[in-house]
Formats: sequence, structure tokens, C-alpha cells
Amino acid sequence: MTAADTATPKRTARTPRKARDRVRKVAFTRALNDALDLAMAKHDEMFVIGEDIAEMGGDFGVTKGLLAKYGPERVRDTPLSEAAIIGTCAGAAMVGMRPVAEIMFADFIAECYDQVVNNVAKMHYMFDGQFKAPLVIRTACGGGFGGGPHHSQSVEGWFLNVPGIVIVAPSNPIDAKGLLLASIDSDDPVLFLEHKALYRSRAEVPPEYYTTPLGQATVAREGSDVTVVAAMRMVPMALEAAEQAAGSGVSVEVVDLRTIRPYDAATVLASVAKTGRAVVANEAPRIGGLGAELSARISEECFADLKGPVVRVDGLDTPIPFSVPLEDVVLPDAADIAAAITTAAQY
Amino acid sequence: METSTLLGLYRDMWLIRAFEQGLEREFEKGNVPGMLHTGLGQEATQAALAWHLKSTDAFFPDHRCHGINALAQHRHGGNGERIMAELFGKATGVCSGKGGSLHSADPAVGNFGDNAVEGSYMATVLGVALAAKMRGQPNVACAIIGDGTVGRGEFHESLNMAAIWDLPVLYACVNNGYAISMPVGEGHASADIVDMVQGYGFESRQLDGNDIVEAWTVVGEAVEHIRSGAGPYFLEFKTWRWQGIFAGEFRPEAEVKYWKEERDPIMLAGETLAGRGVAPNDLEAVEQEMTGLIEEWIAFALESPEPDPAKATADVYVGWEVDSR
Repeated sequence: MTAADTATPKRTARTPRKARDRVRKVAFTRALNDALDLAMAKHDEMFVIGEDIAEMGGDFGVTKGLLAKYGPERVRDTPLSEAAIIGTCAGAAMVGMRPVAEIMFADFIAECYDQVVNNVAKMHYMFDGQFKAPLVIRTACGGGFGGGPHHSQSVEGWFLNVPGIVIVAPSNPIDAKGLLLASIDSDDPVLFLEHKALYRSRAEVPPEYYTTPLGQATVAREGSDVTVVAAMRMVPMALEAAEQAAGSGVSVEVVDLRTIRPYDAATVLASVAKTGRAVVANEAPRIGGLGAELSARISEECFADLKGPVVRVDGLDTPIPFSVPLEDVVLPDAADIAAAITTAAQY
Repeated sequence: METSTLLGLYRDMWLIRAFEQGLEREFEKGNVPGMLHTGLGQEATQAALAWHLKSTDAFFPDHRCHGINALAQHRHGGNGERIMAELFGKATGVCSGKGGSLHSADPAVGNFGDNAVEGSYMATVLGVALAAKMRGQPNVACAIIGDGTVGRGEFHESLNMAAIWDLPVLYACVNNGYAISMPVGEGHASADIVDMVQGYGFESRQLDGNDIVEAWTVVGEAVEHIRSGAGPYFLEFKTWRWQGIFAGEFRPEAEVKYWKEERDPIMLAGETLAGRGVAPNDLEAVEQEMTGLIEEWIAFALESPEPDPAKATADVYVGWEVDSR
């Protein structure tokens, strides 16, 4: 018996376990890819469009393999023309198509802001319901990887003041798939935010078609002392902070918003009414953003239940610097959320 | 062009003129809210486009396109008065008063609505055209724009994408010489827009936008070209708007006189018709008939109810209700 022969059984013993892991644990990007594939099979009227999404499969690989399966008519590369990408989606949606655009980085949405804000979001309203805009704008947002000022921003605040747009913001691969499928099904225009730091996160994602309802938050962890409201990358950080707090005897409930606009106020307010203490965690700058909205709403509607003021965790009021140590200064992390929980729990 | 066709276009141009003049009068009386941009002086361009576009085509009107909106509504829907009512902000308008002058739309007649950020629908038109192409429909998607829109980034993004994808888009650029107060030659690299378009490599043509015979003929050719699958077409209509700016007239007196007295498209068409033996009384009758029709539409708009207050919060989303105060 050779060394190679003796090694063989060990390899075969290991391989199934690895394969099993690969089947069970699916990355966020792969979950999104699955969703697009299933949706394209379901909707003949769906196409995907964006920069480098066809042959290359997108900057993050989310559209990988779709070109081979569905062809260049339905998987469409474009020049660097963000306004024309969203305009194309808007026009196609007006006549009943179901386009899904990829804007490579959320920061680039500034290039098509007019299309989203003045055209897509208002179309159903200003034309008295005669046109719908059932399109999805997928985009990679958020910081934490040294992307610098134009590849790291959290843009939800840019759109919070825009009636008519739906903002979806998953925190894990399972929701990412279900929410993307629900977004594609939706007759409202959806801005679908994909936090880059979550792209490699893995979970047991069901392989079949399923939808996760839009406009519904979920309680990611139950607790009784402090509520943390979060979305996207702030959710795993909040869960980490909640685990730490549990060690100090503080029971933390984490509400994952999942949809940022229109958001599920009922779930948020019910949780705060129960715990009497609230932390809102948000990666974007403090002023005028999601944290400000949640803090105001909770303060207004849970005034009688609150044992102390709402505590906010936000990004600092700066652009995002390139240097990773500087970026760490600017962006909030699990320790900041843990500190906020401690502050809230003092009341 | 047959005389009966020219007479039909003459009627259409009178419909537009009577519409805009009636609207100006009502605006001055305070019956029309908001702002008013008329298409007076540009009737030939609009009548030519309206003639060739079918209800299954799509057009995106600009802010001076009440006339083409009314014509399409009248011709394909039999209810042109709903455009008038929309401008009055009334419940009977095509958008129940929610769109107004700058956002009147009715997909049933091919009107896909103005977007008051000028040039924005240069991008939107691509999607309508792409959908038609993907579905194998012989439809034309038309963007009607002014010369000012040439300054927008979306103008160039649109021409580029229509070119690379060979889309069935008709670009109808109404060059009336000014973007509000900016003369076309000062605002753009060329006062002749077609010169800037030629690099995109598809068919483009400049024409006299005040000559209804030429406009009708050229638009017909462009529409046929697009319907046959031969790709986009860009038309530049050289014309002039009668309306000054909000503060009044700013253009040289001789220029105003020339365009209103020598280049009035309706007058020119009337002269051609008279030369073909149409009696002055018959031409006069067209004007009377169209003016009478527009007065009926104005009366309809004035008598129509205001929108139900519930409309203010309706249709923000398809899937959600929005809170009332």
C-alpha cells in the first residue's frame, strides 16, 4: 500500500463533509444570483441591465452565468450611462416589462438620481395610476473595505425623503434571496441595497423559489431590556453586541428592518413598547438619515413607554476616507452598538 | 400631398392654435393654475408628428406640446377636452388633475407624458423602444424635445444607446431658437443640432418646421424608416415660438415680425391651399369650427369638478397606502 493509497480514504472521508457544507451554506452573492435566475425563469418580461453584468457577471459576480442561460437580449451590458440605464428600465416598465438594473456602486446613483426621484418614484402618482414602474435597482453600498469616498457610501438617506420609492436592505443571504424575488414581483419601484461587507456572508439558503415580504421587519433576536433597530451590516453587528450584553445580564431585542421605506413602524414600536429602551444603529451620517427618522418616530410614539432617551449609533458626519484606520474612525461597529446598549440600559 | 390631406393638417393646426389661444386667455383670467408654455408658432411640427404616430406608438411630449396631446386625445380617444380639463387641474383631466400641463399622459392614445425636467425622457424613451424591439412590435417611440435639451447629459446617453442597440426611436427636436432666453448657437457647440448628432451614425435630417408639407412628408419617411426596423431617426425642426419669456418679449422686433407675419405655419398652409383652389370661405370655416370646438372644451373644463381630496394621497405606491393628515 502506497502513501497515496492510504491518503485516499481520508480524502473521501473529508470530501462529502465539505460538499455538504457547500450545499448548505450559500454566500449572499450566490443567493442573489439564485434569485435572479429563478425570477428570469418565472418572468418572460424580465431583463437585467447594467455595466459589465453580462460576460463578466458584474463587479461582484451577482449576475454570473445569466448571459449563458438567458442570452444577450435579456442580460444586457451598457456603456457608462447610469441615467440611460435607469431611464431604459423606467420606459420598459411603463409598457409592462420587469427590468432589474445593476448600478455597480450605490455612489454612482447620483448620476441617475433624477431618473429615480423625478421619474421612477413619481410615475404612478403623477400620471394617476396609468403607468407603473415595476423595476428593481440593485446596487452595492456601504463601507468597511477601503473603498474611499466614492465607493463606500450608504445612500438610503438620499431616498428617504422620496415618496414612491421602496428601499429594501437585507442583512443576510436568506432574506437577500427572498426580498429580491419579492422586489422583482412588486409593481412598485425598488431600490435594493446590497451591503458589500455582507456579500461573503453565508447561510443555509433554501434552493427553491420563495419570497420574503416587503415592508415587514423581523425580530432577529428576542429580548426584554433594550431594543436595537438596525438594517444591513448593522444587524450582524447588533447581534454581536447583543451577545456581549447578554453576558452582562442585559437582554437585547434586535429588530432587522429589512425594508427601509416604507418601513415597518408597527414592529419597531411594539418592540420598544415592550423593552422601554431603544438604540437605533445606522452606518450613514447622523443628520437627516434613517437613524434620525427612527429616533424621532420612537420618541414621538413611545414617549410614555420609554425609560430613557433613544440612543443613536451612526456614521460620523464626514465623507468616507480611504485609509482603513480612518474609515474605522468614521463608521460605527459592534463596540459602538454595545456601548449604546450600555448607555440605554442605565435608565 | 393631396389637397384633402393638407386640409386635414390645416384643421389640426387650427385646433392647436385655438387650443393655445383659448388657454392663454383662461390663464390670464386665473382659471389655469401653475405655469403656461404654449406651442403657438410650432403648429406644423406638432400636426405632422401627430398625424403619423399611431395610438400603439409612444410619444413623450415636451412642455409646449398641449397641441399634440390634444390632437392625439381627440383623434384616438375622441375626448380632447380631457387634455383641457387636465390643464385646469380638474377631476375630468387625463390624470385627474394630478399631472397638469407638464405631466399630461394617456397611454391609450400613445401619450406617455411629459417629464418637466427637460430631457429626462430622452432616457425613458429608450426603454419603450427596447421593449417594442424585444417583443417584435413595429412601434415607434418618439421623444419630442426642444433645442435646450441638447445640453443635457441624457440627450447624449440616449443617442448613443439608441445607436448601439439600433432602437426604434424618433427624436423630434424642435429647434425654436431659444432655451428660454439662451440662443441655440450660444448654448451649444452648433446652432444646427443635426451637426452634433451626425457622429452617432444614424439617420438625421434638418427641416423647415413651419412648412407643413415638408414636415408631414419628412416625418412620414422617418416613421416608415423606423417601423421597417432600420433604427433610430433624428429630426431637427427649425421653427420659432411665439411666446416670449415670463417677463415678456426679449427678441429683436424684426425677428418677431418676420416669424409671426411671414413664417406663420398656418398662414403658409392657407396660401398653399388657396393656390390649389380652396375657397377663402372654406378656410375661414375651418378656423371657426376649431375655435368653436375649443370653446366647448374650455366650457367642459370650467364646469368640471375639482378632484376628490382623496386623490392627493392615492397611487403613491401600488402596494401601500399613504397616511392622510
